[in-house]
Amino acid sequence: MAEENSSKEISSSPGGLFWLTAGTMLAALIAIYLWVPTEKNEGIVQRIMYFHIPCAWLAFFAFFIVFVSSILFLWKKEREWDIYAHCSAEIGVVFCSLVLVTGPIWARPIWGVWWVWDARLTSTLVLWLIYIAYLMLRGQTEAESTRARYAAVVGIVGFLDIPLIHFSVLWWRTFHPKPKVISAEGLGQGMDPSMLATLCISLAAFTLLYCLLMGRRVALERTKDEIDRLKREKLYSS
Amino acid sequence: MREYLNQIIAIVRKDFLTEMKTRELFSSMFVFAVLVIIIFIFTVDLSITRSNEVGPGVMWVAIFFSGAIGLNRSFMLEKENGCMQGLLLTPADRTAIYFGKLISNLGFLTLMEAFILPVFMVFFNIDLLPHFFPLLLVIFLGTLGFCAIGTLLASLAANLKTRDIMLPILLYPLMVPIAIASVRMTGKILAGEPLSEMLNWMGLVLCFDIIFTGTAVMTIDHILEE
Repeated sequence: MAEENSSKEISSSPGGLFWLTAGTMLAALIAIYLWVPTEKNEGIVQRIMYFHIPCAWLAFFAFFIVFVSSILFLWKKEREWDIYAHCSAEIGVVFCSLVLVTGPIWARPIWGVWWVWDARLTSTLVLWLIYIAYLMLRGQTEAESTRARYAAVVGIVGFLDIPLIHFSVLWWRTFHPKPKVISAEGLGQGMDPSMLATLCISLAAFTLLYCLLMGRRVALERTKDEIDRLKREKLYSS
Repeated sequence: MREYLNQIIAIVRKDFLTEMKTRELFSSMFVFAVLVIIIFIFTVDLSITRSNEVGPGVMWVAIFFSGAIGLNRSFMLEKENGCMQGLLLTPADRTAIYFGKLISNLGFLTLMEAFILPVFMVFFNIDLLPHFFPLLLVIFLGTLGFCAIGTLLASLAANLKTRDIMLPILLYPLMVPIAIASVRMTGKILAGEPLSEMLNWMGLVLCFDIIFTGTAVMTIDHILEE
C-alpha cells in the first residue's frame, strides 16, 4: 500500500505541499529583504537571523524526530521508522551545517570574531558531530537489519546527551567571565512587531520545507527498497 | 539474582585471565597514555603556562585516548575466534554480558590510571597526595561514565568493518560532558577547593553515569543480537 503511494508521488508533478512551501518561502524572502526594516545597531547583516534561527529550530526538530523514530523502531521493528530516522537525520545535519555557517557570518561583523566558545555555539557543534557520526555509522554497516538497530541506539543516546552537553558547556564557560557581547538571548526580546512577524513567516516556511524534504526523502528511500526487492525477485526467478 | 551475579563475575574473570596470559591490553594502554602525556609536554610550553591549569586536561586526554584503545581491544578479542558467538550462546542474560564487559573495562582502565597518576605527578610536578581521596572519587566517576557509554558503543562498533576509527568518532562527541566535567573538577581539586564547591559538576557526572548505564541496559539487547 505504502509502496504504491510512493511511486505515484515520485512520478506525479509537484503536489500541494510543494506550492504551499514555495509560496511561504517567497513571502518570507519578500518580508526579509524588502519589507522588514533594517536593525538600527547591527545593520544589514542582522537579516541573516531570519535564516539562522529557523535553521536551528529545524535541526533540533529533525534530531528530535530521529530520537522518536529510533525508539519506535526498537519497539516495533518496522522498517518504516528506520526510514524516518535516517531521512530526518540527513535533513537535520544539513540544517545544522547551515546554522554553523550562517552563525560565523553574522558573528564576524557583530562580535568581531568568527567563533566564540559560547555555550550555544559549542553545543550546536557537538550536536553536529554526533549526527555526522550517526550518518557515518549508517554508511559503515552493511547488513540492513544491523544498520537499523545500531543507528537507532546511537540516535537515542545522542539525543539524551543533548541536555548534558548543554549544561556542561554552559558551566564550562560561565565560570570564565566573558565579554558581554554574547547575549544571544537578547535577540528575541524587545523585537519590533514587523521583525517578529518576519521571523514567524520564515519559521513557517522552513518548517514546511522540512515536511516537503522529508516527504521526498522518504519516498526516495521507499523507491530504493522497492528496486532492491524487484532486483532480488528477478534474480531468484531467472 | 545470585545466578546473574555469577554470570557477571564469570565474564570479568574470563577477561582478567586472558589479560594475565597475554598482557597485551594493559601494556599498550599504559605506554600509549605515557606517550600522550609526553607529547603534550613537548607541545605545551610548561614554563609559560602553569602546570596546574594544563595538567588535568592532559591527564584526562591521556585517559580517554588510551581508554578508547582498551575498549576497542576488549571487543576485538571477543570477535576473534568467534568468542562473542560463544558468549551469546551461553544462557547468560545480555545485560549480564554488558555489565561483565563494563566491569572488566573499568578494571583495566582504573589499573592503568593507578600507574599513570604517579607518572603524571612526576612529570608535571604536581603533588596529588593532599587531595588524594576527592581526586580518586572524581576519577572513578569520570571513568565510570566513559566506560558505561564506551562499552555500549564498542560492542556496536566491534561488528563494523572500520571499528578502529568508528569507535572514537562515535564516542568522543558523546562524552563531551564527561570530559568537561572531569577536567574542571580535577582542576578545582588541584587548586585546593573542597568537593562541596563542585556539586553541580558532580551531579552532572552522576546523571551521565546513570542515564547512559540505563540506556545501555535497555538497548544492549538490540546490539548483541545475532
